[in-house]
Amino acid sequence: MSIADIVREAAEERPVSASSDECLKCNVCNTVCPVLRVTDLFAGPKYSGPQAQRFRLAGLQQIQGPFSVNPKSPDHSVDYCSGCGWCTTVCPAGVKIAEMNSQARGRLREGRIPKLRDWGLAQTDLVGTMGVLFSPIANFAFHNRVVRAGFELVLGVHRKAPFPQFSKRTFQSTWKRRQSRRPDGGTTKTRPGPDKAVVYFHGCAANYYEPHVAEAAIWVLKRNGFETIVPEQVCCGLPLISNGLYDDARERACKNGTVFAEYARAGYRIIGTSTSCTHTLKAEYAEMLDMRDDDTAAVAHATWDICEFLLDLHEQGRLDTNFGRLDEDLPYHAPCQLRSHGIGLPALDLFALVPGLRAKDMDHDCCGIAGTYGMKKEKYPIAMKVGEPLFRKVRGSGASVAACDSETCRWQIETATGVRTKHPIEILAEAYRAADKAKGARTAV
Amino acid sequence: MPHADVVVIGAGLAGLVAAARLAESGAAVTLVAKGHASTHWGAGGMDVAAPVGSGTPAEGVARLAREDHPYSFLAPDVAPSMAWLLERLEAGGLPYAGNLDTPIRRVPTAIGGTRRVAIVPAAQAAAQRPWDPDELLVVAGPAGFKDFWPAAIADSLGREAVWQGSDRPRHVAGVAVELAGISVRNNLNAVHLANRLDDPALRADDIRRFAAAVKQAAGGRPGRVAVPAVFGLAQHAEVWAELCARLPLEPFEVPLVPPSIPGVRLWRVLRERIRAAGGRVQIGEAVHRIHLEAGRVTAVEMEAATRTQLIRTDALVLATGGIAGGGLVATGDGRIVEPLLNLHVDAPEHEAWLAADALDPSGHPIEAAGVATDAGLRPLPHDGRPAALANVVVAGALLAGQRSLRERCGDGIAVASGWRAANELATQATKMPIGREPHAVRMDP
Repeated sequence: MSIADIVREAAEERPVSASSDECLKCNVCNTVCPVLRVTDLFAGPKYSGPQAQRFRLAGLQQIQGPFSVNPKSPDHSVDYCSGCGWCTTVCPAGVKIAEMNSQARGRLREGRIPKLRDWGLAQTDLVGTMGVLFSPIANFAFHNRVVRAGFELVLGVHRKAPFPQFSKRTFQSTWKRRQSRRPDGGTTKTRPGPDKAVVYFHGCAANYYEPHVAEAAIWVLKRNGFETIVPEQVCCGLPLISNGLYDDARERACKNGTVFAEYARAGYRIIGTSTSCTHTLKAEYAEMLDMRDDDTAAVAHATWDICEFLLDLHEQGRLDTNFGRLDEDLPYHAPCQLRSHGIGLPALDLFALVPGLRAKDMDHDCCGIAGTYGMKKEKYPIAMKVGEPLFRKVRGSGASVAACDSETCRWQIETATGVRTKHPIEILAEAYRAADKAKGARTAV
Repeated sequence: MPHADVVVIGAGLAGLVAAARLAESGAAVTLVAKGHASTHWGAGGMDVAAPVGSGTPAEGVARLAREDHPYSFLAPDVAPSMAWLLERLEAGGLPYAGNLDTPIRRVPTAIGGTRRVAIVPAAQAAAQRPWDPDELLVVAGPAGFKDFWPAAIADSLGREAVWQGSDRPRHVAGVAVELAGISVRNNLNAVHLANRLDDPALRADDIRRFAAAVKQAAGGRPGRVAVPAVFGLAQHAEVWAELCARLPLEPFEVPLVPPSIPGVRLWRVLRERIRAAGGRVQIGEAVHRIHLEAGRVTAVEMEAATRTQLIRTDALVLATGGIAGGGLVATGDGRIVEPLLNLHVDAPEHEAWLAADALDPSGHPIEAAGVATDAGLRPLPHDGRPAALANVVVAGALLAGQRSLRERCGDGIAVASGWRAANELATQATKMPIGREPHAVRMDP
């Protein structure tokens, strides 16, 4: 074992809450915080994180009673942390600042009845299920100015916050119906091995709002020789974690863990099209929910973001690189959760394989939405200010389509700029179709 | 795909210079770092060499260029590398003042002391001019800003002893400027202020208030104004020009405790330079293993969520810093080790690490610990034989023999060694055509 391994393992074993000991007080985190950039309502990652952590660890809250917050602690402002994770990324000392702040938010809410708004925004599967069930009414309501003004007044969800259209059917039900029509009835007996199939974690976005993203992913996987297995699943739990509802999140994590660990142990890779869901499966169950069981670990190690997976195929020389020409400018925004994966910018590497495609990294820290953060009434103006330079760049690019890996970021960019914003997998599917079309044209000639 | 001609590890000045120069020479460069580095901590100036008794940086370099010091072989590169860097900073909108022959002079610090500088950002340059006896120094900063107390600074700078025999202003006045619309004053930090001043609408009023306060304090007398180094981040050039035009006296910025806004400006310009030349910059991905094959580095493996990310490479620049940056680690049993490649570290015996007096003017022996190299920056094993690793060069604070706290030589060594590291590898690269087949990657046993 090398010294580097010892240093790294020591850091991994240290719980998030104690990583404040590593803080040098260098303030680097404060230079990158997108929220701090636009408002002084947030004290910044350093003060709210490692600095305040010492008071939290000292148990001041307990002294004053279990449900009160020490008035001298800056905890009141930690609620303004959007959880983007930039602070943790740049910390030269390895302090888990964003994670620490998320736990502090959770603690703020401990023992309290959550705000209806926060509870509702966090129940993405419940909202999704109901929305799809009553999609004509729900789509009317969620996009009607009067209703949205009412939502803002009663619930505190900002009237202009981006909200996608509910799909007419969930992706799950479409998939099940399609499987049941197959000759084998979709039974698992005939399922191909892990070298010929992957397991798909669609998450809430693809299930309730963007089934076309799931379809594009499955189509691209198929083209590269992989069948897709879609097990029953629930929300990854990230919106619950972001809103401090840890117990509910743990329940979701256990359900997913039981289902997906079986596949992971059999050698299947778990592929997701939402960078935030895949990051939750990879890291947050262990780090934020303190789940250290074998199922969680097996799932974490088997989980891949779709672009990460395709790039890996390419490195093995297994990716079908016969992409057709897409002659267009494509502004690309790398979402915050992608950075937390620590895998570089795989979508840009894949775009570089598409002839004619001029993808350009917008190089902006955060679009502002940060999951459900920018939907909240009091946070919406901050979120819009955080994303404004990005919106200006996207609008200024003159492109008709932009790309981004994370769903809420896509909705935010699209709502703010009017530029249609797609998942990279949709762009890659288009590039394959362009190849087919060109081939068809040649054959016809 | 993850294949680079050169991987640079470390985002301090040495790594940034090496990456920028390599990228300009056409090499495919990827800079990786576990977080932000010295740029965000320093004062933004270029400390080349200021050992006691030297009047200019050039004199300082000559004085330090003794047998065991990096300047013994880097000295010829100091002037051309610094000229190369300052030219690029100016082109990036961040002009600097001074060169190796500029007299080293005492300038005020943010705690009311003085420090010795020669090459500084243009916004700090007015502090270096000799003081006329009738000149007034006005220290002006935003009221309530914890990192810059005008009254206390002025009080201290009014004492002769602080200037240590250097010429000084005979009249010093401190003035706190009330800025409008700061909602949570006790959280105010340099980043808030710099971003606030970037906004043309907000800064018009702020600068007007500064001008009025300085005018009143000066009462028509000649002099200069010391302001905290917060005047703009992305828009620094415009903000500074506006301040200079509106103030009745000539201003200069005084760098603050971290986060260093002048350092963040420096980091931004260099990062942009690397990216514009086709290089990649990945922050937040700590390297934890370097793959070797037959005495050559073949790949760099970085931390990622649950897995690691591998970048194959033809060459490596190790610019991981000294003890403060984590490039060197002190072990519990009294050794100093280089954790990534386990290079031989020149360090005093454990018992001789420290001087008896904490503030000993000659420093502590441990400061000189580092990796010894040949003139081509290739690491030497213990017995002084030629380098065992053919494609590794070392740059920056990791180099043995520098006592940068005492000799004030850290930036000069970083720039000259980063520049030479790039030159060495560019020479190598002409022998190994860029873009050839990637090496096979082998895991270390």
